Amino acid sequence: MELTHYDQYVLLDCMLEMGELLLDCGAEITRVEDTLSRMGKAYGANRVDVFVIPSLVSITLNFPETTPVTETKRITSTGSTDFYRMEKLNALSRECSREPLPLDELRARLDHVAAGHKPFAVVFWGSVLGGGGFAVFFGGSLWDGLAGAVFGAGICLLQYALGRTQLNVVASNLIVSLLAGLAIGITANLIPGLQMDKIMIGDIMLMIPGLAMTNALRNMLVGNTISGTMRLAESLIWAAALAGGFMVALAVVDRIFGGGLPV
Amino acid sequence: MISVIAQLLAAFVGALGFALIFGMRRRYLFAASMGALLGWGVYLLVEWLLGSTFLPSLAAAAFALTYSEIMAKALKTPATLFVIPAIIPLVPGGSLFYTMSFAVHGDLENARLYGTKTGECALAIAAGISIVLAFRELRTKRQ
Repeated sequence: MELTHYDQYVLLDCMLEMGELLLDCGAEITRVEDTLSRMGKAYGANRVDVFVIPSLVSITLNFPETTPVTETKRITSTGSTDFYRMEKLNALSRECSREPLPLDELRARLDHVAAGHKPFAVVFWGSVLGGGGFAVFFGGSLWDGLAGAVFGAGICLLQYALGRTQLNVVASNLIVSLLAGLAIGITANLIPGLQMDKIMIGDIMLMIPGLAMTNALRNMLVGNTISGTMRLAESLIWAAALAGGFMVALAVVDRIFGGGLPV
Repeated sequence: MISVIAQLLAAFVGALGFALIFGMRRRYLFAASMGALLGWGVYLLVEWLLGSTFLPSLAAAAFALTYSEIMAKALKTPATLFVIPAIIPLVPGGSLFYTMSFAVHGDLENARLYGTKTGECALAIAAGISIVLAFRELRTKRQ
């Protein structure tokens, strides 16, 4: 496929968009870099330099017999893991490396992916199952599981509401964990037979940045030290915010009910 | 025995929840949740054979990653999809909670104990993942 100089910029634009979408849905850095490099090569570039960190995508394309074109994009969204989008992007990039799509079609396909999100109902029921399942997993009774499921639903709704206010992750984690901790602590103390610790653990599991940490480690291990450390620091701070919220809640519940150690 | 079965089932349900939260498509849900069940089975088996928390976590994480790579090949989709649900039961949410709880109650000795355990689990998962990644790297580079 022969691209004019203008088209090369259009392609760059599409690739930056692709990079942003991939980062936003939780793909590892290596995957983003690989995907973009392969895409550039498929469109006829003889050299593609891609640099991706969680907050920036930079691409330089070298086409034969023209000057190189380069652009960068600042990434500000943290996004939530979205396998639904990740798979669509994966399919799109595979298609492109097999047979490059016309640029206007590529743009249309990217816009289509950008518009579609995982359905909220699925996330909601996922939180219910996750909160309940892990309350039982860590030694709770079926009643604890039920309570964990109910609070899981509450956490999901709260996260959704806070997500719309564009609050940063640290602040929203702090608020959600504080409110969840208070609600669980008070309920478990009022209803006999419920074990506060098991319910809290089940719902903490919903909020621990497990994916971010695993990705951080995988990034570091394959040589992306900068991105790995960035992600690791980020997820440790999120985890600290989470712990902070729950600890304040525990202290308050302790004051109200004057309980002993929950172990 | 009953508690083992309950744990395995709970791991399956919890992982299913996580797969849903991350927006996984229906056709992969069973395979992803099975990863958690089998991974936890490996954990319990190694714990029963050798004791401690470090080695079981390491073995289970290594298993989870291998399982994910195999499933990803078979179903032609990124391995990340299967890694996360499979590793979720190994995340030390329990010890993290007890660390916080003891710290709030001023029992620093126990807080330190559980804090160490939390770190140990995280380290073991990292080690398990790196071992599998290193072997994969070796294999692909030789081809």
